[in-house]
Amino acid sequence: MAESVFRRFSQQLTLMGVVVLFVLPLIGIPPTTYLTLTIAGLAMGMLLFLVASGVSIIFGLMDVLNFAHGALFAWGAYVGFTVFNLLMPWVEADSLTLNLAVFLAAMAAAMIAVALLGILLERVIVRRVYGNHLFQILITFGATIVLVELIRVFWGPNDEVMRVPVTFRGNWDILDIIVYRYRVICIIIGLVVYGVLQLILKKTKLGTIVRAGVEDRDMVQAMGHNIYLLFTGVFAAGAALAAVGGLTMSLFSLQVYPDMGGTYLLFAFIVVIIGGLGSVTGSLVGALIVGLTYNYVAYLVPWAAAGVNILIMITILLIRPTGLFPAGE
Amino acid sequence: MAEPTPVHLFHMSERQRQFKSVGFFLKMAVLLLFVLVPFLFPSFKTVDLTMQIVMFAALVASFDILLGYTGILSFGHGMFFGIGAYCVAFLIGKYGAPTYGNLILGFLLAGAVSAILALLISFLTLRVKAIFFAMITLAIAELAIVLATKLSTLTGGEDGISLFTPGIFSPAFNLGPFMGIDINGRVVTYYFILFSCLALFLLMLRFTKSPLGRVLQAIRDNVQRAEALGYNTFFYQSVSITFGCVVAGLVGALYAIWVRYVNPESSPSVMTIMLDVLLMVIIGGMGTLYGGIIGAAFLKVTQTYLPDLQHLAKDLFPQAEFLHNVMERWLLLFGVLFILVVIFFPKGVIGSVREYAARRKARGLNKMA
Amino acid sequence: MSDAILTVRGVHTFIGRHHILQGISFEARPDAVTVLLGRNGAGKSTTLKTTIGLLPSSKGSIVYQGEAIQDRKPYEIARRGIGFVPEHMGIFAGLTVEENMRVAMLAEDADTRRRLERTLDMFADLRKFWRARAGNLSGGQKQMLAIARAIVNRTSLLLIDEPSKGLAPIIVDALITAINQIKERSVVILVEQNFYMASSVGDYFFILDDGRVVHKGDMPTLIEDEALQSRYLGISKGA
Repeated sequence: MAESVFRRFSQQLTLMGVVVLFVLPLIGIPPTTYLTLTIAGLAMGMLLFLVASGVSIIFGLMDVLNFAHGALFAWGAYVGFTVFNLLMPWVEADSLTLNLAVFLAAMAAAMIAVALLGILLERVIVRRVYGNHLFQILITFGATIVLVELIRVFWGPNDEVMRVPVTFRGNWDILDIIVYRYRVICIIIGLVVYGVLQLILKKTKLGTIVRAGVEDRDMVQAMGHNIYLLFTGVFAAGAALAAVGGLTMSLFSLQVYPDMGGTYLLFAFIVVIIGGLGSVTGSLVGALIVGLTYNYVAYLVPWAAAGVNILIMITILLIRPTGLFPAGE
Repeated sequence: MAEPTPVHLFHMSERQRQFKSVGFFLKMAVLLLFVLVPFLFPSFKTVDLTMQIVMFAALVASFDILLGYTGILSFGHGMFFGIGAYCVAFLIGKYGAPTYGNLILGFLLAGAVSAILALLISFLTLRVKAIFFAMITLAIAELAIVLATKLSTLTGGEDGISLFTPGIFSPAFNLGPFMGIDINGRVVTYYFILFSCLALFLLMLRFTKSPLGRVLQAIRDNVQRAEALGYNTFFYQSVSITFGCVVAGLVGALYAIWVRYVNPESSPSVMTIMLDVLLMVIIGGMGTLYGGIIGAAFLKVTQTYLPDLQHLAKDLFPQAEFLHNVMERWLLLFGVLFILVVIFFPKGVIGSVREYAARRKARGLNKMA
Repeated sequence: MSDAILTVRGVHTFIGRHHILQGISFEARPDAVTVLLGRNGAGKSTTLKTTIGLLPSSKGSIVYQGEAIQDRKPYEIARRGIGFVPEHMGIFAGLTVEENMRVAMLAEDADTRRRLERTLDMFADLRKFWRARAGNLSGGQKQMLAIARAIVNRTSLLLIDEPSKGLAPIIVDALITAINQIKERSVVILVEQNFYMASSVGDYFFILDDGRVVHKGDMPTLIEDEALQSRYLGISKGA
């Protein structure tokens, strides 16, 4: 019963919930800190969105749960790290143009490398376990282990420092609020990616076919589209998204380490559950909720931060298991 | 009493034949081997290895109840193992004196806490797709590790807790020599754990062969069908999960009294245990229970003798530095092995053997027909 | 017989462990509507799904315009000019009518556009609700959309599964008109339980039971033979 009530007013309730989320913390947090936390939360949310959107679409279209997404995330960061090392002078240069150039180069390299990795993964491993969720989890779990260990083989097992391009560092002082430049960049990247994804999904024929496939895979095939090619393509796109997330994240936390995909994958799944499978908008809303909640709670009650998000996830599972914006509604 | 029906007669003859089959002899031989190890190979390394195999066999079997028989993947099994270990650690290490009473209480606590937690998790999360159940158990397991480390006043944090085993289990105990070895606390503990694990294993076998177990397999194979037949799948799955987790907790408790030290992050940590169990159950065979023994033996032996394998590789191919790197990363090799087994031998060792035997039998029957 | 556009011979299909099609054989003649009739569970839908390739057949052959298609993938079969309208209509609820049609259109050339126009002429409601969300359409409109999608390409063979299910009689009449128009350009294989619909558009029939064809013939004969109707279709006099 709770579910049907929720469904009818779901849009309004979500809006209310998000507003409450934004306003409630003001009770316990001074305004300037609140704004800093909000920006941090939005930035974290954007990072989560980058990983979660890939998982969401892959699951929505292919009914495949990709446990290896975290490893792809880490690979993206490491490829970017290598590009930065190769072009270190550009990173250290106090020039926006050069900084942007190396950043975009790293981004492009990461996306291409990880997309290729994704194609390999999909064709060699994932394809064999279509339709069997259990084996999908097992096999992508195995793939994660292999991929992470390969990082250790190629780059060594230690944490490495990620140098942020000079013009991305530091902060602005706006009305007594410290606004970290890089966090704003994260938010911008997230919004750009969201915009591009929405554009592709809503305005291109390919995107329309993907959206149709998320609703009814068999029907799309029966209408003449090569669903296997679509699967590989979507998987590669999801992998590329994870790479963007990984690289962005590495600059956020100033380091890369082989297991960096693990924790973020967990959060990504929480986001997908909250936001709804197969929905890019759902991933965005879910990610922002998780990011904001984490930061507010971390400030107020540090050890409860992760726990609160798990609680939200469980609540959503109990009253609306399909998530806030399930595809097809 | 009525005349025995043909079905009855069939079951009775099956049971008699069972005690003469090859499988039965193999199982008895393995058991005999475990019993004799402390006498035949008294070195610490070998006894410890065997004990680990025994305990992990039981643990993997309990995981198989969830995975192979109920069809549910949970990443929280390591957590239950850890919880069981900590329960005993609290009662005879941190908060209690080393007495038999506390030891028993420790085991009871391990079982109780595992049961309650398992029921809670089942109730909250069984209504979602399998994959989310897996993720949620992973999330909860990671949360548990964080809690264990952070609530250090309660749990001893990263320093861990040392256990002091009571009476005949304590290292100080020594009955004197018998058939070539000293009957000390360690030996007593060995047999206690061996027979406890045996008891747990037999319990699990009984569970799977019971009517409850059969309903579970029906649910595993086709949930909608089972529900259409009127079974409350949720109830059965909860019972099965709880049972498996309780056993895991008890094995954890046993593990605690063997190593006499618990710690959230040391090896084996909750996560490496989970990994090991997954590998073992896949290699041994899902849905077979006995697969746990094979899987545990294979993995533990390999892990113990791996450094020697690495040296061997270095000696054979001194120039191949890449090979050295790869060999160092034994986890990488296991990951690849895992994937290969999932793709090509999804039934594991025992499963494939059983399938082969069944096919041979079918062919024999066909020939007769 | 040899100029049948589709020939199905001895096809067996399993769904899980269930042996649904147990050696089914029939053919669809050109310029005609072939109707597959039978009780629930006889295997009619499974036959269509096996033809379009969504279910794999374990034995037998399916020959379309001289080419064996039983081992081909659904999208390959569809691209050879076979359109499919499934039992649940299969429209994409979250997409608009326009987007549904765009997914259906395999090419954007003049021919396809012409066919689109003609289809929209036939189903005026679709033009009216062009930008509306497909999930908000009425049952009858959804069915029209499903059929429109299947005929907007160069379709030589149209497979339709129980289009009249759950629809009001007046809509069923509209469907009958539509199918009678479609059959001028494509061969139609229709699965129906609604005898009124089947007899209004059908030229030939095959009755299925337990995954096999148990009776066949031309529609006028069946309409006359009430004993046959009640035996296999459960239709009693006056129903």
